[in-house]
Amino acid sequence: MSSRSSGGVSRLSPYLQVAPLALIMLAMVGIPIGTVILLSFWESDGIAVFPTFTWQNYAEVLTSPLTLTLFLNTLKYALITLAATILIGFTCSYFLVFHVRNLKWQIGLFLLCTIPFWTSNVIRMVSWIPFLGREGLFNQLLIGAGVIDQPLDVLLYSDFAVVLTYIHLFTLFMIVPIFNSMSKINPSLIEAARDAGASPWQILTGVIIPLSKTGIALGAIFVVTLVMGDFFVVRVMSGGQSASVVSAMKNNIDQLFYPVASAMAVLLVVVVLMMVAAILRVVDIRSELAR
Amino acid sequence: MAQSSTRRGADFYLLAGFFALFVIFLYGPMLMIFILSFQGPTGGLTFPMRGVSTHWFQDLWSSSRYGDLGGAFRRSLGLGVLSLAVTAVVCLFAGLAFRRRFWGAGPIFYLSIISLVVPGILLGLGISQLFQLMGFRLSWWLSGLGAHLSWTLPFGLLIMFAVLNRFDGSWEEAARDAGARSWQVLRLVTVPILFPGLIAVALFGFTLSYDEMPRSLLTVGGKNTLPIEISNMTTNVTTPALYAIGTVTSLISFLVIAAAFLAIAIIQKRRARARRGAD
Amino acid sequence: MTQSGTQSGKKTPADGLTRRRFLQTSAATAGAAAGAGVLGAPMIWAQELKDVTLNWAGPSYSVIADIAEKASADLGFNIVPQTVESTALMAKVVNQPETIDIADLEFWAMQKVWRSGQVQPVDVAKIANWGMMTPLMREGKNFDGSDLSRQGTMPAEVMYIAAAGDTEFAASPTELATIMPTIYNADTVGIRSDLIGRPIESWAELFNPEFKGKTALVNIPQIGIMDAAMALEAMGEVTYGDKGNMTTEEIDLTINRLIELKKAGQFRAFWSTFDESVNLMAGGEVVIQSMWSPAVTAVKSRGIQCTYQGLKEGYRGWGLGMGLMGHLDGIKRDAGYAFLNWYLTGWQGAFIARQGYYSSVPDTAKANLSANELGYWYEGKAATEDILDPYGAVMDKAGAMRDGGSFEARMGNVGCWNTVMDEERYMVQRWNEFVSA
Repeated sequence: MSSRSSGGVSRLSPYLQVAPLALIMLAMVGIPIGTVILLSFWESDGIAVFPTFTWQNYAEVLTSPLTLTLFLNTLKYALITLAATILIGFTCSYFLVFHVRNLKWQIGLFLLCTIPFWTSNVIRMVSWIPFLGREGLFNQLLIGAGVIDQPLDVLLYSDFAVVLTYIHLFTLFMIVPIFNSMSKINPSLIEAARDAGASPWQILTGVIIPLSKTGIALGAIFVVTLVMGDFFVVRVMSGGQSASVVSAMKNNIDQLFYPVASAMAVLLVVVVLMMVAAILRVVDIRSELAR
Repeated sequence: MAQSSTRRGADFYLLAGFFALFVIFLYGPMLMIFILSFQGPTGGLTFPMRGVSTHWFQDLWSSSRYGDLGGAFRRSLGLGVLSLAVTAVVCLFAGLAFRRRFWGAGPIFYLSIISLVVPGILLGLGISQLFQLMGFRLSWWLSGLGAHLSWTLPFGLLIMFAVLNRFDGSWEEAARDAGARSWQVLRLVTVPILFPGLIAVALFGFTLSYDEMPRSLLTVGGKNTLPIEISNMTTNVTTPALYAIGTVTSLISFLVIAAAFLAIAIIQKRRARARRGAD
Repeated sequence: MTQSGTQSGKKTPADGLTRRRFLQTSAATAGAAAGAGVLGAPMIWAQELKDVTLNWAGPSYSVIADIAEKASADLGFNIVPQTVESTALMAKVVNQPETIDIADLEFWAMQKVWRSGQVQPVDVAKIANWGMMTPLMREGKNFDGSDLSRQGTMPAEVMYIAAAGDTEFAASPTELATIMPTIYNADTVGIRSDLIGRPIESWAELFNPEFKGKTALVNIPQIGIMDAAMALEAMGEVTYGDKGNMTTEEIDLTINRLIELKKAGQFRAFWSTFDESVNLMAGGEVVIQSMWSPAVTAVKSRGIQCTYQGLKEGYRGWGLGMGLMGHLDGIKRDAGYAFLNWYLTGWQGAFIARQGYYSSVPDTAKANLSANELGYWYEGKAATEDILDPYGAVMDKAGAMRDGGSFEARMGNVGCWNTVMDEERYMVQRWNEFVSA
């Protein structure tokens, strides 16, 4: 490649190709994030913001026992959701890729999984309420079947409802990348492994999982960031009984206490970036892109 | 794709059952929304159904109580289409760039991740202030679009990573060796191969934008987008009209996807025909 | 779907009259505002007025497309409504004032927003019906002339300033208002009378163990804590100096008690939006909760027995006012004053009455209501025929009476007002602790 005359151009080309993204991201994320970081060192009286350097917002966020509670609670949601979505996403993709041999069926069933995603998240979330409520369909079914005689309260306005909704909303973000990775596994590789006497389990752990790991990692990044950044689901589906980092932050933002909210946001970004870095440490996504 | 259908074992049925359960899990609650949107005129947001009617759809259309729903819908559609186009193009090139090591790749990648995480309202505030500082009037199609791109581009980029995962670059090299110019390689080789994936990126761009609210709140200026309008509406409308909106907007989303996949089908058919012609 | 804010409305002779009257008013005000860069004679002003567009932003229960449309038709210029949730509105007014011309702000928000300097005072002299305004709003006086409760942000407390540019509020009425009062109401708890089956008279019932797992509070910190304080005070557990402006000790006491109650399973949920409160009540999840008046109506309209129960400790009042944004000047400011004046002439007051809210100039609103509506909404009388909402849907059946009774009985018994506390930041912090406990 280096011998070709276009070598100079091709060394430059990634910069040209990435320039639009870089510019938009810098303007729409980089600079505003700068503002957020700046704000987190400023003072506020609930309306005006005073540009004086202070650590007080961080001190407040870092010393409050509430912060730890909030992060642990949000992490709990993220990890449960992550485990469930990986399980579901992997199993469904596996079924689609290796058991549905007809390409038309494969694409059709894949689309079936993605269609609900094109409906508003809010509406999909709210649609659980008439189902899970005290007088909801599920409780009525259970009572009708004689399984229980008192309606179950834990179905709605609980951690259960929150996690269920997360799984419902975010599994797609796992299926799409895993399906993409898995469908690129050459079937002859599996044939070869089978011919060499590998058990189905060995094929799964030795061939399929390693070759799908980019998809799993990308899906994990989506799910972790989505759950960690959510305030709406946790607020509605827990019936306001639990809080996540961002839902608590929202109360501060609503009252225009931007500096302390910014400090919290910076902390959140740091924590999530560490989580993403950990994911990337296990799976180097970009090395798989290079030829 | 004439693969020999091997004997289906127990694991097939087990997995098929799991898949079916998942599909029911996905569609069950939504189905209830669709059913409930056909409530009778005295029906509420929950079961039981009090008659079946299209009352709430008509109400949505004819009553003035829903404010500027039509305008909000048009704006959201416009924003969705703009986001779709920008996301697809920008992410295609960015994805291609990320196949090589280049200076600044890490920071751009992590900036994208930050954009996914940072609370939307705060980011929206920052974006709106940037536009104000630059002397622009806040409006849905400028600052609003900027805010939406901060949300759709990171998704598009990561989906592109999945699409480009183990992408075989030898086609491109072969084309280049055959003397094709780089834009010809892009148009005739890279884009056709990546096309289905690009459609996925584009659709992500559309729906993520169509559904976006926290970042829009402070960036849309004087006109609301659909999610904001609906969310404000929930403070004084509590009729199945809310579900009717859900049904109508879902239908529109479906139409968009249907159109997109029709496009894929046509292109693939054309490509198959071309391949047959080449044989 | 209606296109809001078009100028194409046909002008009946009456409309023409109203319009001309307002043009005269604005011409007069233009003369009064001599220093404001006047370019031409009143004639030219009147001609240009029709090109003005006013962006009117506020919560969806007050910024209503029909009102904007009617005002545009009557006034001859364009009023574009934008619904903005009240916390987002504060952020917009403070951070992006240029996107708004007229803002519908809640009085408690004035404690924060006024200091930003983005809202200009309303010159009382330019509001024709100011004198007819109810003393509840204008002076903070009750119907019998006594002072209204000053717990929380009583509207008159944040309604006046002594001189333009002041950031402190004046203690007594002056000629400069921060915002012009428009609508207000008295809030209390909603109960499922069919499931409770006995009279409910006190806020204390909210925390009665009898309703364990079947109560809910509003999850807006400054309102939720007030409802909790009403209940705790009624139980005799705490006596507050001022529920509307608690000390940190009082906040601690209240939140600690709330956490105990939450851990004991007293609450089913904390709702954030209006429709959640309706679903909680209609779905049988809760039997007693803090609620807003139209939410109770929404539950009732499904044939479910729900009462907006007035309690002996009084209501929690709130009020909304219209603010002129600071950047308005010249003809746009005149248009703004014309809109404000139109707002108090009764059409809007009647419209909003049919949603259960009161107008700051009750007389003009009453004049636009039918005798049946007037009796039901303002006078506490039984409806003689079906009561319709502003869009023509049946809201209550003939023979029904409004919960809580007449205007005087409800607004005369306000125990505290929606507010922002001095210790707001600490309170929000503790409230977050409560929610995540």
